[in-house]
Amino acid sequence: MRGYILKRILKSCISIFLVVSIVIAMVFTMIPRNKVLESDTSYRKLTGDTRTSFMYSKFEELGYMDYLRLNDMCTNDSDNYEACMVNGSEENLKVISTYENKGYTIEYQRNGNAFAYHEYNIFELIWHFWQRLIVIDGPNAIQDENNPDLERKIYIEKDFNGVPALQCSGCKHKYLVYLDGKFPFIHQNWISLNFGTSYPTKAGANVLDVISEGQGSQVVVDTEFPTGVVVQSAYDLHTATYKSAIDHLDENKFDDHYANCYSNYESPSMINTSYIFGLVSLVLAYALGIPAGIYMSRNKDKFGDKLGVVFINLVTAMPSLALIFFVRSIVVNFGVPDKFPLLGFKDIRSYISPTIILTLLSMPGLMTWIRRYMLDQSNSDYVKFAKAKGLSQREIFTKHILKNAIIPIVNGIPGSIILCIGGAFITESAFAIPGMGKMLPDSINKLNNNMVICLVFIFSALSIFSVLLGDLLMVIVDPRIQLSAKKGD
Amino acid sequence: MVNNPILSVKNLEVKFKVRDRVLTAIRNISLDFEEHKVVAIVGESGSGKTVFTKTFTGMLDINGEVTQGEVWFEGRNLMEIKDDKGWEEIRGKKIATVFQDPMTSLNPVRTIGYQISEVIMKHQGKSKEEAKKEALELMDKVGIKDPERRYDEYPFQYSGGMRQRIVIAIALACHPKILICDEPTTALDVTIQAQIIKLIKDLAKEYDFTTIYITHDLGVVANVADYVAVMYGGQIIEFGTVEDIFYDSRHPYTWGLLSSLPQLGLKGEELFAIRGTPPSLFEKIQGDAFAPRSNYSLKIDFLKEPPIFNVSDTHWAKTWLLDPRAPKVEPPLVIKTLHQRMLDMTKKGGVYGER
Repeated sequence: MRGYILKRILKSCISIFLVVSIVIAMVFTMIPRNKVLESDTSYRKLTGDTRTSFMYSKFEELGYMDYLRLNDMCTNDSDNYEACMVNGSEENLKVISTYENKGYTIEYQRNGNAFAYHEYNIFELIWHFWQRLIVIDGPNAIQDENNPDLERKIYIEKDFNGVPALQCSGCKHKYLVYLDGKFPFIHQNWISLNFGTSYPTKAGANVLDVISEGQGSQVVVDTEFPTGVVVQSAYDLHTATYKSAIDHLDENKFDDHYANCYSNYESPSMINTSYIFGLVSLVLAYALGIPAGIYMSRNKDKFGDKLGVVFINLVTAMPSLALIFFVRSIVVNFGVPDKFPLLGFKDIRSYISPTIILTLLSMPGLMTWIRRYMLDQSNSDYVKFAKAKGLSQREIFTKHILKNAIIPIVNGIPGSIILCIGGAFITESAFAIPGMGKMLPDSINKLNNNMVICLVFIFSALSIFSVLLGDLLMVIVDPRIQLSAKKGD
Repeated sequence: MVNNPILSVKNLEVKFKVRDRVLTAIRNISLDFEEHKVVAIVGESGSGKTVFTKTFTGMLDINGEVTQGEVWFEGRNLMEIKDDKGWEEIRGKKIATVFQDPMTSLNPVRTIGYQISEVIMKHQGKSKEEAKKEALELMDKVGIKDPERRYDEYPFQYSGGMRQRIVIAIALACHPKILICDEPTTALDVTIQAQIIKLIKDLAKEYDFTTIYITHDLGVVANVADYVAVMYGGQIIEFGTVEDIFYDSRHPYTWGLLSSLPQLGLKGEELFAIRGTPPSLFEKIQGDAFAPRSNYSLKIDFLKEPPIFNVSDTHWAKTWLLDPRAPKVEPPLVIKTLHQRMLDMTKKGGVYGER
């Protein structure tokens, strides 16, 4: 069994690797990169050499190419910096030709300064993505010239809440593993994923932070800082990261260089927003859909069943957008807002109509399948035999048919739960919910390449692992399935 | 005719609604089943064997209906039971059934132990531990080795023969008065067939139940049955002891059925087959249902349904050939020499004659 799971995990990883690599290749080669800059206002204002320089350095930042200005070339490859910087000098020409020989393209600015760039090929692009993806924090992570005496150690000490935490000096993060009152209660900063920075929307922000950081206004509370100062602040001290140049404000609050903190926000992040909606409606859909499907199968062709079939057909046939507006226009009469931001996260009424709609949308499928599986099973021989045993219809359904019919449903449950974070695009846009649903289409529209790659990675990884999880869950409910891979099978 | 009947069927008629048409599957059957005896019901596919026995446990499909007749069991007419609740007192508890295919008769995702003890708990009101104890005993009785270990296994871990043993164990869990075996060995291979038949035979002695066999296999009939009922077109056309049917059969259909035994065929000779097809039960059948296929049909066979003619105390048949006015007809040669042929056959190694 363990062998099988390891094999499946390996296969899953390979699939994710292939999918994401293909997407990287597509994004970097097929999207016209000049368009990426067009929506950047600061770029549009620039002219001349600064514009060229800005463009190339942006391309380097976005991972398209390796770009070197004259002074970079001279610092790297010349012993005589001063001579090298003089255009047309012997040293200058020598350095330029070295780069030319390395395969770099040499171009000249209007002022005569040369610059070199090397465009990455597909394999380099893919390699760069994967080699920087997983970042493991360690005591040697920070190499700061201004702070050569930085202590390097990992230790366990009580944090400001008095709870033991794994802390580090010399790492990027101060707290590697810590506990707090927020779900899932144990947190880690040790291993993180780096998908690069978001651009041109939310320029400069870490891609993963954009979707996982809280939204709305900051929550400001009295916070006691390491130095003992109590200040009104939104800082989440557990997220402290290394800050090279600390000013005296920081010195006032912090007793070390770990002075960069994420803030606490009053509204959940995009992922969490989508997750709240997804999960609540999922639970509702299962809680209503499965009993409804069972009821329909038990009363096949009777009134209840026919009513259910009408419901299924109606919801399936109606375009989801029509359903959304239909439901919205009804519930508005009961004082429920038609847009999410009107009352916001704090008011329960904001959640009512999106949840109803998401539930309605996923119920018909569940009902159809469970009804169908139940009916399939009720015609089988073991049901006939169970009847001949003298079991009541009810016992046959609950003890025999249900367990068989639920197997294919169980297989899909992990997928539905995990993929809730994908958000529901149409519903979220109709209600202006700040969730994940709009992220992928938005970032594709805005040519936010790193975001697209990040989302593809997340969604493909989650899908593939939820299939694996679904299969493992089947092993628990269906005794016939065994995972021990026999030789020769 | 029969002493001490445990189950008594009177004028039973069963109709099925198929789309907009009505099919008469059972046409006016009356039959008594003698206690502790083995009755075999034989006949070709579609003759109504299974439907007939399904009425004893109220297991007819939804579109089927008993339109007429009574089935008396333990002093009550079972046909008066209208809902499943009433039937639960009979099914499994008093009249148990073993179906044809053991591969699919058991729930694939429940343990064997669960499926046996479930019945015991339901019908005898025993606790889980008591039920397990009894289930283990039953498993031992039906020949499952190491029942303790196999109790928690699933059907897929059992072979076909083992599963049929379990099905029998479940059927016997509540000490039923009658066991209906609906082609219990058809899906099993020949060596296992003999074991299962012997098992049912032995258990019948021990548990004291009456057995009703439904089978195509006349070999099985010869081996286990006390009485044989031959069914054709929704009726029992001949009934008698096994000796009556094998050595002194009177109905042309029974002759045809016995002649068709492939084991009786001689090398180089063509195998016998009854010509034609069974009658459509959608239409009203006039006269003798077998008449169009029979080589011995009389004019009256096409006009009037034959009544029951008693041949002896234990033997009757529904054919006009037994009417005193009918011309004397000799049964085919195969039938007359059946005994000799069967003896010849078993000399080469068989089970006939063991009885």
